[in-house]
Amino acid sequence: MTQTKESMNSIYPYLEEDSKTAAPLYQLQKAVVQRDCKTVKELTERMVKEGVDLFRILNQGLIPGMLEASERFRKGEFFIPELLMSSRALKFGLNVLRPLIQERKNRGLAKVVIGTVKFDLHDIGKNLVIILLEGNGFEVVDLGVDVSPEKFIKAVEKNEAQILAMSSLLTSTMSWMKFTIEHLQASGLKKKVKTLVGGAPVTPIFAKNIGADGYCREATSAPSMVKKLLGIKENEGESPFKQDSTRL
Amino acid sequence: MRENSTERRSGKKVLVLACSVMEKEIRQFQNGRLEFKFFDYGLHRTPENMAQAIQLEIDKASDEDYEGIILGYGLCSNGIVGITSKKLRLIIPRIHDCISLFLGSVESYQKQSKEFPGTYYLTPGWIDKGQTPVSKFKSYAQAYGEETARWVLHEEMKHYTRIVFIDTGVYPREPYRAIARENAEFLGISYEELQGSPNLFKKLLHGPWGKEFLIIERNQSVRQESFLDL
Ligand code: B12
Repeated sequence: MTQTKESMNSIYPYLEEDSKTAAPLYQLQKAVVQRDCKTVKELTERMVKEGVDLFRILNQGLIPGMLEASERFRKGEFFIPELLMSSRALKFGLNVLRPLIQERKNRGLAKVVIGTVKFDLHDIGKNLVIILLEGNGFEVVDLGVDVSPEKFIKAVEKNEAQILAMSSLLTSTMSWMKFTIEHLQASGLKKKVKTLVGGAPVTPIFAKNIGADGYCREATSAPSMVKKLLGIKENEGESPFKQDSTRL
Repeated sequence: MRENSTERRSGKKVLVLACSVMEKEIRQFQNGRLEFKFFDYGLHRTPENMAQAIQLEIDKASDEDYEGIILGYGLCSNGIVGITSKKLRLIIPRIHDCISLFLGSVESYQKQSKEFPGTYYLTPGWIDKGQTPVSKFKSYAQAYGEETARWVLHEEMKHYTRIVFIDTGVYPREPYRAIARENAEFLGISYEELQGSPNLFKKLLHGPWGKEFLIIERNQSVRQESFLDL
C-alpha cells in the first residue's frame, strides 16, 4: 500500500492500523467509495475464506466505506449517481455476508417494518437502511414511499414486527412520523414495537419530542441502533459509529 | 427594518439574499431600495453548507448600512437553521421550500402535494439550471454510460407520476413548456401546467410581512420549530 498512515487515517478514520487484516479492510473501504462492485464482492469473499470475522469485514470494511461515501455527499463532493453506485457496491459485499450471518444466528434476528412517510417520495436513504439491515441479518418489510400511519400499523400487526422504522426527507412531511407514533399508541401496539426515525432534516430533538425510541443520523448506524433497542448484544468487530445515533 | 415593508422611498437599502433558481422572479420586484445577492442553486443539495454560505454574507452585511435583510429561502432541510444576524433584522418566508413561492402560497402547494404526492415540479429557473430528468440523464450518461445512467435515473424517478410545469410569468412560456413536456414524455408520466403566482414573492420583497413570514430579531437564531406545525 502506498498510502501513508496519516493520509489513511484522515480519510478513513475507523481502521485498526496495526492488524494483519488492515490492508484488505482498507481496500474494501476504498472499493465501496470508488463504487467498484466487482472488487467489493471479490475482497469480501476472499476475507471470508481467510476466516476474517464477518462483523469485522462489515464494521471495519464495508460500513466505513459507505459512511465515507455518504459524508462526501453531504459535503457536495458526491452527487446522487455516486451515492447510489456506492450503495450498490455495498450491497455486493453484504450479499456475500448475509447468508453467513443468518446461518450463524439460525434465523432472522428480528423483523423491521420500514417506509417513507406520507406524501414523501424520497427513498434513497431508506433503501440504504434496508440494504444495511438485511446485510446484518434482519428481516425487513419495505412498505415503499408515501406510507400512511394506517398502512404502517397494519404492517406492524400483520408481520408482528419488533421495529417500526420511518424515513422523512421533507420538513413538510416530518410531522407524519409523529402522527404514526400517535396511531401506534392509540392502537395499543406501542409497547410491542420500538420506533426508529431518520432522514436528513430529522434531528435528535425532533425525534425525542415526537416520542420515537431511536434516531440515527447515518444509515450505517441503523443496525447497531436496532440491536440496542431490542437488547441484542453487539457482535464482534463492534461498530464504532454509535456516536451519531441516540436512544431516546 | 422599523416599518413593515420596503416601500418607503427614502432611507437605507434592504439586502436580499436568495437562491439563484428564483433570480428572475425576485428581480421583477426591484423598487429601488433592494440590493440583491444570489447564491448557487446547488446549495439545496447540501443543507449543511447552506447556512455557512448565507451566514458569511450576513456577517459581511453587518458592517454596512442596511435597513435589514430579506432571505429568499425556505427552511430547505434545515439549510437556514442556526443563522443569526447580530445587527440587522431578518425577514424569512415561513415555507419549507421554494415551490410555495413559485405557486404563490403555502396553501396551494399543500393542496397539490396532498392530491398528487408524486409530482415533480419544474420552473424555468430549475430548467435553466439543468435540473430536469432529461438533462440529468445526459450528464449521468456522459459520466457513467447509458446503462448506469438509466439505472440511476430510474432509482431517482421511479415513484413519480406527474411533471408539473409552473409558469412563473417572467420567462417566455413556449420554450420552457416544451422542455417540461418533453421530460414528462421521456419518463412516460403525465404532464400538467400550473399558473404560478407572484403574490408571495411580492409580499416577501415589498411587505407587508404578516403571518406568512418570520421576523427574526437581532441576535436571535433561525430555528426549525418556527416552521413546523406540530
Ligand atoms: C435526491 C433528492 C431528490 C430526488 C429523490 C430521489 C429518490 N428516489 O429519493 C428527486 C430529484 C426525485 C427529488 C424530488 C423532490 N424533492 Co428532493 N431532494 C433530494 C436531495 C438533493 C437529496 C436526498 C437524498 O437522497 N440524499 C441522500 C440520502 C442517502 O440521504 P438521506 O435520505 O438523508 O439519508 C441518510 C440519513 O438521513 C439516514 N436515513 C435516512 N432515512 C432514514 C431512516 C431511518 C430509520 C434511519 C435510521 C436513517 C435514515 O441514512 C442515510 C445515509 O446515511 C435533498 C437535499 C438533501 N441533501 O437532503 C432534496 C430535498 C429533500 N428535496 C426537496 C424537494 C423540494 C423536492 C421536490 C418537491 C422537488 C420538485 N421540484 O418537485 C420533490 C419532492 C416530491 C415528494 N413528494 O417527495 C427539498 C425538501 C424541502 C422540504 N420541503 O423539506 C430538499 C431538502 C432540497 C431543497 N433544499 O430544496 N429530490
